[in-house]
Amino acid sequence: MPLTHRQQLVLLIPFMAVVIPFLLCPAVLGFAASFTNYAPFQPAAPVFIGLHNYERVFGDESFITSIRNTAVFTFLTVSAELVIGVAVAYALRRSFRGRSLLRFVLLLPWLISPAASGVMWHQLLSSERGLLNFWPTLLRLPPVPYPLVNAPFAAVIAVEVWRKFPLVTFLALPGIESIPAVQWDMARLDGLSIVGRLRHVVLPRLRLLLLTIGLLLVGDALGISESVFFLTGGGPGVQTSTIGLYSYAKAIRASNWSFAAIPGWITVVVVLLLGAGYIYFTRPRDNAHART
Amino acid sequence: MPGHKHWERWLLVVLCVVIVLLPLLWTVLASFGVLVDNTVTPPLWSWPPTLASYAEINIEQTYFWQEFATTILLSAVITLLTTGIAFMAAYALARSRFCWRRIMVQGCLVLGSLPVFSFIFPLSDMLRVLRLHDTFVGMTLAECALFAPLAVYILHGYIKQVPTEWEESAYLDGAGLRQVLTRVVLPAVYPGLIATAVIIFTLSWNQYYLPTILTGIHIKVIPVMMRDFFALERDFDWRLAAGVLIISLLPVSLVVAAAHRVMERFIFVPLTENG
Repeated sequence: MPLTHRQQLVLLIPFMAVVIPFLLCPAVLGFAASFTNYAPFQPAAPVFIGLHNYERVFGDESFITSIRNTAVFTFLTVSAELVIGVAVAYALRRSFRGRSLLRFVLLLPWLISPAASGVMWHQLLSSERGLLNFWPTLLRLPPVPYPLVNAPFAAVIAVEVWRKFPLVTFLALPGIESIPAVQWDMARLDGLSIVGRLRHVVLPRLRLLLLTIGLLLVGDALGISESVFFLTGGGPGVQTSTIGLYSYAKAIRASNWSFAAIPGWITVVVVLLLGAGYIYFTRPRDNAHART
Repeated sequence: MPGHKHWERWLLVVLCVVIVLLPLLWTVLASFGVLVDNTVTPPLWSWPPTLASYAEINIEQTYFWQEFATTILLSAVITLLTTGIAFMAAYALARSRFCWRRIMVQGCLVLGSLPVFSFIFPLSDMLRVLRLHDTFVGMTLAECALFAPLAVYILHGYIKQVPTEWEESAYLDGAGLRQVLTRVVLPAVYPGLIATAVIIFTLSWNQYYLPTILTGIHIKVIPVMMRDFFALERDFDWRLAAGVLIISLLPVSLVVAAAHRVMERFIFVPLTENG
């Protein structure tokens, strides 16, 4: 017996009452205000100024760098997290003693806040007191060059993958476990390699789960800011600046509202487009009943 | 062949544990003042461990424990409120025949993946107009709005798995909507509710960007406080920061450990193609 319309409305009202004013409205307002000379703490009513703000923002080279960094960062981290996360889940697919404890341990890096992760790795990567340089010193090998100066972008990516690939394993494990053993046996009889098994057995089964996790990871990666802030401060220069850091720096340091709001609503549009793609790719199919 | 497989699997398990735990172990050691010196060969450890950094936190950050308590209270209220409203909304969506239902549920997932910075600056101004900037209520509402969509999506997956027959027979016995929700649906999905609450608590406890923009003087949360330890001196006292880091990790670890039975069985159920 489905709910009546009135009941549905009553149940949905608290959710709508929070999400519409505090999530959807700001996203739309940011868009609307970017075409005016609006700025906070200004008594005068905002005046329409067309694309003037956009000319300034897109004329800023560090904005373009931040966009490129965020795009590359998102692509690389999300692919690495999904590939490593699923590969590890695949290797752990058969039950063994202590596996649920291991799954629990895998959740730990995600429990550390991005800010704390940035602080922690800033120290762990340091040459004198760090974890990275400990091993070559112990083995009397030449020291590793300081990554936060010599390969800051790679360091940012590695830290983020460390924080999130175990989460992917955590989430993908029940799905991979539910694949019947017969399928693995058949795959082995067919002589499929590991890559082949992942492609032909795991992917079709976990397509939906991976798309869903992927969307969340992409959203998270597009917003990356505080871990980079504490790890490299966006530097050296603007080498590791991201859109989130750019907006923050503009809003806080320069009180330049439109510089902060324009990257914001552009990101909203990007996420909505990706979301539309997600909804399209997961649409019901005529042969939906064929899936078990 | 099986023996060979075992060997490979254990190597991977050990590797995973080391990759995950070694950085944390390094931080725990640093918080007790046990630091490694890589400038000499072989590396030298400072010994013995002390509790000095934990004792110094109060001195560096006078209101540390007040801020700690504020963050716990804030995260707890946000978690309860978000889980509550998301539970109701998820139930409404799961039990409706509305043709746009799939779009709405998946729309929640899309909203749930919006980065904070993408809407936070207009929100900050809105809260200022509403006189909710830098208040407990303002923070609660803003984080509820941020996390509720994801909570709806996760809970919808759990509620969908509960057969409707129980609810139908409860309705036939004369139960109202509230009774069905609290007596039938709630007990059936409580592992999902606990798991969702744990996830929201973690996300809220770790949120940095939102409180940085929406609070300032009256409300200060732990991740924002961490900035003080960092910004004061660029190469700040790592022992002290490690102590703060370990303390800040404790509440979430305890919550997750307390709910470990639920979290071990946590299944993220995506909306199925025919569901």
